[in-house]
Amino acid sequence: MKKLYILGLMACTMAACKPNLEPEPQAAGDADFSRYLAVGNSLTAGFADNSLSKNGQLHSYPAMLSEGFMAVSGGKFTQPMLPGNDGWPMPKFVLAMRKRSCDTFSSITPILYPGALDSTGSSNNVAAAGPYNNTGIPGIRSIDFVTPGYGAVNPYARRFFATPATSRPIDEVIAVNPTFFTLWVGSNDVLGYALDGGKGGRPITDGYAFAAAYDTILAKLTSRGAKGVAMNIPDITAIPHFTTIPARGLTLKARQSNDLNNYYNTKFNGSGIRFVEGANYFVIEDETAPFKFRQIQEGEMVLLSTPADSLACGTWGTLKPIPAKYVLTKDEIGVIKAAVIEFNAIINTACAQRNIPLVDMNAYISSIQKGISYNGINYSTTFVSGGTFSLDGVHPTPRGYALIANQIIDRINEFYGAKLHRVDPNKYPGVALP
Amino acid sequence: MAFAAGYQINLQGLRQLAMGGSGTAIAWDASTIFYNPGGLSELDHIQAQASMIAVMPTTEFVQGSYTASTQSQVFTPFNVYVGGPVAYKSRVNWGIGIYTPFGTGVKWEENWAGRYMVTNIQLKTVFFQPTASFRINDYVSVGAGFIYAMGNMQLNRNLPLQNQNLLDGKADLNGDAHGIGYNLGVQVKPSYRVTLGVNYRSRVNMKVNQGNVQFTVPNALTNQFPLTSFSSELPLPSVTSIGIGYKLTDELTIQGDFNFTAWSAYENLSFDYAQNTSLLQDTREERNYQNTLSFRLGGHLEVSDKVALMIGGAWDPSPVRDGIVTPDLPDANRWLATGGITYKPAEKLTLMAAVEYVSSLKRDSRYDAAGFNGMYKTTALNPGIGLSFDF
Repeated sequence: MKKLYILGLMACTMAACKPNLEPEPQAAGDADFSRYLAVGNSLTAGFADNSLSKNGQLHSYPAMLSEGFMAVSGGKFTQPMLPGNDGWPMPKFVLAMRKRSCDTFSSITPILYPGALDSTGSSNNVAAAGPYNNTGIPGIRSIDFVTPGYGAVNPYARRFFATPATSRPIDEVIAVNPTFFTLWVGSNDVLGYALDGGKGGRPITDGYAFAAAYDTILAKLTSRGAKGVAMNIPDITAIPHFTTIPARGLTLKARQSNDLNNYYNTKFNGSGIRFVEGANYFVIEDETAPFKFRQIQEGEMVLLSTPADSLACGTWGTLKPIPAKYVLTKDEIGVIKAAVIEFNAIINTACAQRNIPLVDMNAYISSIQKGISYNGINYSTTFVSGGTFSLDGVHPTPRGYALIANQIIDRINEFYGAKLHRVDPNKYPGVALP
Repeated sequence: MAFAAGYQINLQGLRQLAMGGSGTAIAWDASTIFYNPGGLSELDHIQAQASMIAVMPTTEFVQGSYTASTQSQVFTPFNVYVGGPVAYKSRVNWGIGIYTPFGTGVKWEENWAGRYMVTNIQLKTVFFQPTASFRINDYVSVGAGFIYAMGNMQLNRNLPLQNQNLLDGKADLNGDAHGIGYNLGVQVKPSYRVTLGVNYRSRVNMKVNQGNVQFTVPNALTNQFPLTSFSSELPLPSVTSIGIGYKLTDELTIQGDFNFTAWSAYENLSFDYAQNTSLLQDTREERNYQNTLSFRLGGHLEVSDKVALMIGGAWDPSPVRDGIVTPDLPDANRWLATGGITYKPAEKLTLMAAVEYVSSLKRDSRYDAAGFNGMYKTTALNPGIGLSFDF
């Protein structure tokens, strides 16, 4: 036996015994990646789990793209790195086993990182260490790019802008003088409205203002001949923040439904509110309803930010209507969807005019919503278990960002005749379970 | 990797191995119990033989800039045959064969890109085949064997359920399998120079009952992955072979075989867990193998009374369809080149040595159901030694 092994081993030192499979060489095609600039919002910064952290930045899609760019003689890639991993300014979400006040058993629940934050020094201005290749600014809207002094009100911008109190973001982010850019802005022009249940102080951006701002951004980025690629706005209402709590998520026993029916019949006769044993629609606030509340309808959304304890264990959705800021009604959803369509049409036109290829991220996120498989993992937009979205239900996981990076790589290859390799999502973290 | 196309192992006799795996027409020795039980009537005295082959495959995988390679493993398929006439000039010959006609083993790097599909898979089978042959007349012999097969199946894969340290969950399955089947053959000698053979080895369904399964998952999910068992079934497909042998001179013989392997029996790889939960569901992965027709050719030259040389080659197409090239068996069409030597140091003793070089064609592969695409290439060098003794 040993003899056999040695015989084989000797034979296998010959070159013929190794398959010798080599990766295809990468190529830049018509693009020049020597100075890459990523422009965008939280999605570009690497925001995940409700905050920004060093790890999130390292797992941003621009960081993933830069690996391929460097392989085809791209230049260095610098990000305004945060010092810590627990999130800044607010702590990141982590998963833990938690019991709500009415629960017998614990279940997997997102909580704010409970330890002391490692964020010392996060607010220090790091402009001197720039210019930066990834200039993603969490929270920024397209119209903010042309607002002087925006850096003074956004902590993420403030920490790497040279003159945050007076400059326009578009003039700050361009510092690297790009030969190639990725541009992904516009989501926040509608997302704020959606996150506030349509009731907050963050209105949807006006279409004309959006178009003007977007054109200014694109004009500035291409002014010195830079090439690039742009991404449109995903369907905001498809992300787990809005789809996780089902409208018919109220489960009642026969006695509970009887008690509630008696209550509403007695006190609010004509409200139309009706409960049965089993699954029921929550009661929500609605200014236009006769008693200023009604039951939620199929297709309307309860936000993930709704305090879980009030919803499941308190009287929210039963005796007390869920406050309107945690609910998207059909009308509000219609407004959001219309805005995304309008903004995407603007992005489409602007990119076509300047010959910048567009990655249809809207279509791609929709395909994930239906379910895709990549390198042996099934991805969906389901909260936590879907693998695509992080614990805030809005921003992707590192693996989700890798899927996005691969869409961008495909488009660059297609449009610029480049041969860049896709990244392996499995080399990045998924969701950490307790 | 598999040692021949699919998870078949065409290494059941060293002389046949040395001649490209052909051997349906001519009964070279007691290994005809496997290649064609009808040929057992050719043996005019009882022979015992044993051989072992060392299989050392390497598969490489490329996906973009990512490369992975299977870890080096040495497999040792073996075979033992005893058979011949129980009495001088009897029309009935008896024999038994113990051999390993199916098996596979692929062990990828621990953290490789395809780890959620497979990190390690091992399939081992041993067939026991008591056999009888009957000489109808000087031209035609028939033979039949009953097959009892035992085996073991092991599959390890990671689960995309990471703990707080971002370590993957794991599923480790291991089960013993059993099955039965049969082996039929006819050998015809229409002339001194020509020999014809037909052989049918039946399908054997290897059934795993109460296989052992162990899950490693984050603490919060342990109640979703209870202590349970699994059952599964893997078909070992039927093989129909037609062969012809031709004596060009008294010293030089050539032979050729067609093997039709009914791989379409392998429709899916399924695991049925005794206890299911919302996260632990039975799995069923499509395989949909296609039937294959391989061609084998070999030559045998008697150099002297003591020494014979053999050479051969084969074209062994893959049963794996495009779009379902899975990393547990990243199969591709393959060429084989073979050679061997036998030496008789004494009247009754023969020593045998053979070697096979296998090179699969590069395959640009897709596994659509898992979204796992890339390029595979496999090579293997398989040397074997054996001896036979004539009583």
